[in-house]
Amino acid sequence: MLRTFAPSTDERVIAGVCAGIARTLGVDPTLVRLVFALLALAGGAGILLYLALWAWATKRNRVWVAAVLAFLAGVALLGALGLSDQAVIGIALIAGGLALAWRQGGSFRADAPLSYGGIALAAIGAVVLLSGEGTSTSLLAPGAVAGALLLIAGPWVWRLALERDAERTGRIRTEERSEVAARVHDSVLQTLALVQRHADDPRRVASLARRQERELRGWLYGDQPLGDETASLLAALSAAAGDVEELHGVRVELASAGDCPVDTSVGALVLAAREAMTNAAKFAGVEELDVYAEVTDDAVSVFVRDRGAGFDRTAVPDDRQGLRESIEGRLERAGGRATIVTSPGNGTEVELRLPRRPS
Amino acid sequence: MKRRVVLVDDHDLFLAGVRAELGEAVDVVGQAGSIAEAVPLITELDPEVVLLDVHLPDGSGDAIVNAVKADRPGVKFLALSVSDAAEDVIAVIRAGARGYVTKTISGPELAAAIERVATGDAVFSPRLAGFVLDAFRAGEQVGGDAELDELTPREREVLQLIARGYMYKEIASRLHLSVKTVESHVSNVLRKLQLSTRHELARWATQHRLV
Repeated sequence: MLRTFAPSTDERVIAGVCAGIARTLGVDPTLVRLVFALLALAGGAGILLYLALWAWATKRNRVWVAAVLAFLAGVALLGALGLSDQAVIGIALIAGGLALAWRQGGSFRADAPLSYGGIALAAIGAVVLLSGEGTSTSLLAPGAVAGALLLIAGPWVWRLALERDAERTGRIRTEERSEVAARVHDSVLQTLALVQRHADDPRRVASLARRQERELRGWLYGDQPLGDETASLLAALSAAAGDVEELHGVRVELASAGDCPVDTSVGALVLAAREAMTNAAKFAGVEELDVYAEVTDDAVSVFVRDRGAGFDRTAVPDDRQGLRESIEGRLERAGGRATIVTSPGNGTEVELRLPRRPS
Repeated sequence: MKRRVVLVDDHDLFLAGVRAELGEAVDVVGQAGSIAEAVPLITELDPEVVLLDVHLPDGSGDAIVNAVKADRPGVKFLALSVSDAAEDVIAVIRAGARGYVTKTISGPELAAAIERVATGDAVFSPRLAGFVLDAFRAGEQVGGDAELDELTPREREVLQLIARGYMYKEIASRLHLSVKTVESHVSNVLRKLQLSTRHELARWATQHRLV
């Protein structure tokens, strides 16, 4: 929207009106002066307009003087453009009527009597204009009617749009705030409550704090959406690692190169990885596990490693579900392969590899 | 002789924790909580190693590395952060830090990392190794030196094992190399990371500076 301008005292030639306009619009003052000079040739319209603007800008209570002068300038301009007197009168009536209707604070007020008077005046003007003869009138008339409608309806539509925008911004803000509140409630507040309840168990408190930290960090840095464990391999692994940390009091160091969405087979991979982490946490007798996920064009691999007790594969009974079913079997059904490297005393590393189908 | 170390981190609680964890292992000669404080302090004290938080209240850690390295080329930087954002970490490494460890690192491990950085070696945590593998794989190569823009298969292998949680000694025995050779592979990767004009790395670095 245009700012109101003030006549420029330091760049003025006559009263500084042209320079003032130029500054407000950010154009060359010479250009503005040229326009006024041309308008002045059109039946003196430029001179009248100049006076009107000067009257309006120097003293706000001279607004009526300005309006009348501007009105006369318009009439002079239209006359100079070669319109018939009737057309000029018609347009003048429309302009005057609308000005009257709009008088109240720049907006159309249907409850003010002056507004009705103004519209009536504008309507008479339209009739005068339309009944006039001549080519210029027949060209001008539809335009004048459209313009009048636009002037009446325009500000109302505009205000409506502004209100709707403001409402929408407000609604988005409220939604964001309640989403943040919901997330803080679901995660941070719950964790704090748990911490209070388990204040006498430092291991549990540490794992709670770590899980919460992981979750918040993921959310803040955008690695994973909080609470949405199905969005990506990393988010799902991170959630699984958090669960294992919380349940078994170990620390899981998660590293990764690349990420991918979770489909059925990647989901199976995550479950197998979780099982491998749980096994390591339960049986290896260590405080820290390393998990590394790598996504390349042709495969998704997850490595779960501990430096713990290790075990002898041949000594594990066949009916032990963990390894055979939950890790190896699950991955084979998903089209992948699990490799377990271990021996007593040398820790364990489970490699889960799932070929990717070209998409 | 104990290494002279400066800590730069804006979390007082964490600074106190690090000092306690490091105990007598190193000589903490000073600490700062912002870039504005850290630059003159490091220039004045000329420590061997600076432990640097990636995020500071008045900017990111790479600003300190850039401001100090001309006057004090001997100072080694080790980035220390809870941040998981790969581009932040890569930016600090590209500015000249010799390594990156996460804040969950234990006291003895941190002391060992400081020692390693002080002697000119690089310190790659599993997480950093993952970031680096990712960065060198993504994005296309744009001119520059082909040798700097690609990791050799061996370097890739070493980094992958670091990411999987193997220590240098374990990597050496698994790949039938000496520990020295493993160390030199890691140093080479660090050099490539800092000098490469590779598209993706450059993008990460500039993105970070623009933010």
